[in-house]
Amino acid sequence: MKRRDWLKAVAGGAVSSWALAQEGLPEHPSALQYPQLDFEPPEPGQYRHELEGGSVAYLVEDRQLPLVSVSLTLRAGSYSLPAERAGLASFTGSQMRAGGTRSRAAADFDEQAAFLATELGCSIGSTSASASVNCLTQNLDASLEMFFDMLKNPGFDPERLEIARARTLQGLARRNDRLESILSREFGRLTRGRHFTTVQATKASVEAITRERMQALHASQFDPRRMFFSIAGDFDTARMVDRLNEALVDGWPADPADPGEIPAPSHDPEPGVYMVNKASRDVNQSHVALGHLGIQRDHADIFKVRIMNSVLGGGGFTSRIMTRVRSDEGLAYSAYSRFRPGTYYPGLFQAGFQSRNATCAQAAAIVIEEIERIRGDKVTTKELDTAKNYEIEIFPRFFATAGQVAGTFASDEFTEREKDYWKTYRERIGDVSADDVLEAAQRHLQPGSLVILAVGDREGMLRGNPEQPAYSFESLAGEAGIQSIPLPDPETMEYPEA
Amino acid sequence: MLRRILRCAPALLALLVPLAAQRVEVEEFELDNGMKFLLLPREGDPNVAAGWIAKFGSVNERPGVTGVAHLFEHMMFKGTHAIGTQDIERDLAVIEELDGLRDLIQRERAALLEQHRRGLIEDPDDPELRSPEHGALIRRFEELIEEQRSLLVKDEFTQVYTTNGGSGMNAGTTSDFTIYFINLPSNKLELWFWLESDRLVNPVFREFYAERDVVREERRLRVDSTPTGKLDEQFESMFWQASPYSWPVIGWPSDLDAITRSEAMQYFDRYYAPNNLVATLVGDFDPDRVKALARRYFGRLSRGARDPEPVRTREVEQQAEQRLVGSAETRPRASIRFHTVPDAHVDEPALIVLSAILNGRTGRLYKSLVLEQQVAVQAGAGVDGRKYDGLFEVFGMAAPGASPEDVEQALLAELDLLAREPVGERELQKVKNQQLAGDFRKLQSKFGLMLQLLTYEALGDWSNINAFSDRIQAVTPEDIQRVARRYFKKTNRSVALYYTQEGAGPPGSQGPGPRRPRQGGVR
Repeated sequence: MKRRDWLKAVAGGAVSSWALAQEGLPEHPSALQYPQLDFEPPEPGQYRHELEGGSVAYLVEDRQLPLVSVSLTLRAGSYSLPAERAGLASFTGSQMRAGGTRSRAAADFDEQAAFLATELGCSIGSTSASASVNCLTQNLDASLEMFFDMLKNPGFDPERLEIARARTLQGLARRNDRLESILSREFGRLTRGRHFTTVQATKASVEAITRERMQALHASQFDPRRMFFSIAGDFDTARMVDRLNEALVDGWPADPADPGEIPAPSHDPEPGVYMVNKASRDVNQSHVALGHLGIQRDHADIFKVRIMNSVLGGGGFTSRIMTRVRSDEGLAYSAYSRFRPGTYYPGLFQAGFQSRNATCAQAAAIVIEEIERIRGDKVTTKELDTAKNYEIEIFPRFFATAGQVAGTFASDEFTEREKDYWKTYRERIGDVSADDVLEAAQRHLQPGSLVILAVGDREGMLRGNPEQPAYSFESLAGEAGIQSIPLPDPETMEYPEA
Repeated sequence: MLRRILRCAPALLALLVPLAAQRVEVEEFELDNGMKFLLLPREGDPNVAAGWIAKFGSVNERPGVTGVAHLFEHMMFKGTHAIGTQDIERDLAVIEELDGLRDLIQRERAALLEQHRRGLIEDPDDPELRSPEHGALIRRFEELIEEQRSLLVKDEFTQVYTTNGGSGMNAGTTSDFTIYFINLPSNKLELWFWLESDRLVNPVFREFYAERDVVREERRLRVDSTPTGKLDEQFESMFWQASPYSWPVIGWPSDLDAITRSEAMQYFDRYYAPNNLVATLVGDFDPDRVKALARRYFGRLSRGARDPEPVRTREVEQQAEQRLVGSAETRPRASIRFHTVPDAHVDEPALIVLSAILNGRTGRLYKSLVLEQQVAVQAGAGVDGRKYDGLFEVFGMAAPGASPEDVEQALLAELDLLAREPVGERELQKVKNQQLAGDFRKLQSKFGLMLQLLTYEALGDWSNINAFSDRIQAVTPEDIQRVARRYFKKTNRSVALYYTQEGAGPPGSQGPGPRRPRQGGVR
């Protein structure tokens, strides 16, 4: 990482502001003058090492503390499994950590790691698996040995499996308890339809998880030829590369499967107002989300969309949705919009808030007004500059630690991000104009396509606010009316007739 | 003989870890007005983690204004004479008129509240029930809010930070302190001095009433609409008898509806004098330049007329076990709490080590309750040492087929074992090894380090961040046994048992689940 040299700049360039200040303080912070800060992002090539068999590692040394952190990512996950196997991938990941190894009983594995104060983790998500080890430098060899033992020879202790199963089944039964979990699940179903991202584990699918199925999944997914390591901390690069190469040569599953393509969702969301009634206890607040399909990461407009969303609702207190829903009207504690580009297929645009039942319709109407406004008029220069300056100024924070540098580059290569992404990042942000923002809003925000989902006390939300009778869910829904979504049986995930 | 072997053992085992943790070397610096600075320059990325803390929180409130410390924290983002308005004179006049109107409206509302209290009306906030005068006052109030909006430079405080690359800006209020923090590019450090000193010199609490509504929503979000929020709050209030820790940091709803702007200003005047404040910078900066900036900007603040007195109302000794039995849409569980010691008390390290003996994958609770007895699916322990008092808690989530009472009994048996038998040397060394590694891990984040220094200082002294490690390493099996015997007494405990209450929709078939006992509520 390039050393900053702004202190030198202070000694030279900033003397004038110093002298000025001696007569009194600037009346407004806009009068403050700052020394130049030069920062160039690190070069990935500097840290990149190709390993035996085709895997890749990014190694960034940082000797300040006697700690080493090793992370691993690879293509694996539930995307390749049918719905009746829901839960198998995540169980396999967590049981690789919890279930011991072929030579170490689960309890012994845990005791050894705990005594060394070594933190080990393993998980399998929807499109990737990851594993990590964090240890004191002096325990590095012993810790790495355990790490690779866990990855190569998981024991899948049957007793640990049953403990995890009991806990998971109990959790499944309680998944209609929290408004935020219901909202996120149902919003996913409405926007993604049937897709691996919306598949829910059921009592039956969790009961179908066996040791043999976990072993088979491990054997098919942990391929030492396509692992991406990120390593940071107190170690010697050359020795670490040797150590990884030794670990990668043998002892891995013999015949891993081709990971195959990640399926894109094919669902066409049905716009409208949807409501889940959750009024069984005295809930005086409901949760609302509004959104539609978005764009993929390689879209030419991503920086324009990023700045547009920052002004709309992604920029916290300086964004319009937050200002109007929270700060002007006091209707919500949190109010937001996010427009996250998808890595493998188009992502989602989603706005939302939580508000007392009576004011949900009003807050939703304000969010829609703001979506329409940013499509109608150019953002102000101040809004545009605030959003752009922020992105440019915080840029060095992406590379603040050795762990971030290694992690970012490993993740970039894993997801095949375009090569010059970071090099041109600030420039591409800087190029976004108010016209670009307007164009991006018109192109990528579709108020007519919004799926509006409210979860909470239906009666209270429909009653609305007597102080503001103009706002109602009925008027938001129009002729199509409000569509009710019943709560599913939490164990079978079957939905009763509405 | 056995004793001798055991005494040798720790030395051998301890060879696996370094002899001493890295010390945090902080430069202290104090202004003439009493404001303290803790400076920790660190190499690395061009960024400074900056924060300051007021050593007061909800424990310093009184009934009637509970929640004012936290509400005040929200108001600190609303601007000053220089930030947030285009016309400060008109702005201040509008604020004053709004306050007057609010008093009159409150008087009108009081009449409706009285009718509601007697059960004569259902909703005291029904516009239909208001008198014509009441309606007129509200209309005038809303007109003024509109006028104020036209004078505002909306959220300018945040906007200035944002446009200069300030990130992670926020604040937090606890029972004992209020903390304000941000990350800034290192070349923008003067901006931090400008904005933070400005909001301490000339704060203006504009948009007070809308912000009060935001806090009401925050309360609904965090407490009211979560499955166990209100039960947890009741347990907390039951646990503390005399201590002001008994009211929630976010405040009781009735107080939040009634706190006035002048009450928030009084809180500011009393507790935000520079002699009650500590600031910390960690990261890429030159200490000499920072000292000059501190004098120039924070030197403007005047020392408070007198120091606020420590909290007067202290907890009284509990005389009998307390139990709370409730039900909620949640997994069945048991929590057991004991009154213990405040932060940095000599018994605290032993209690922390004791909790570590119980926690984690290899801790006693997981091994015994989850793996062996299978009475719980999850279990843990925690120490909460606050400024004036403290508590120790164990909890467990019941396994299918087990009741919260079963979990309670299993938890108590583990505590009893700790009081009866000394812990093993290897078991203790494992916990100490983890603590040493943790001492390094906690130094990794500059932002985290800034927060730790501030909170250590608010509760006592920042240097406890170093002393803490040594004190943990010095804990003996006898110390653990001693604190277990001293604090885990029946008369000193409070128990909360939560049963599952089904909500709307088809109920999950829970198998042979426990039946709810007939008595409900506090016993």
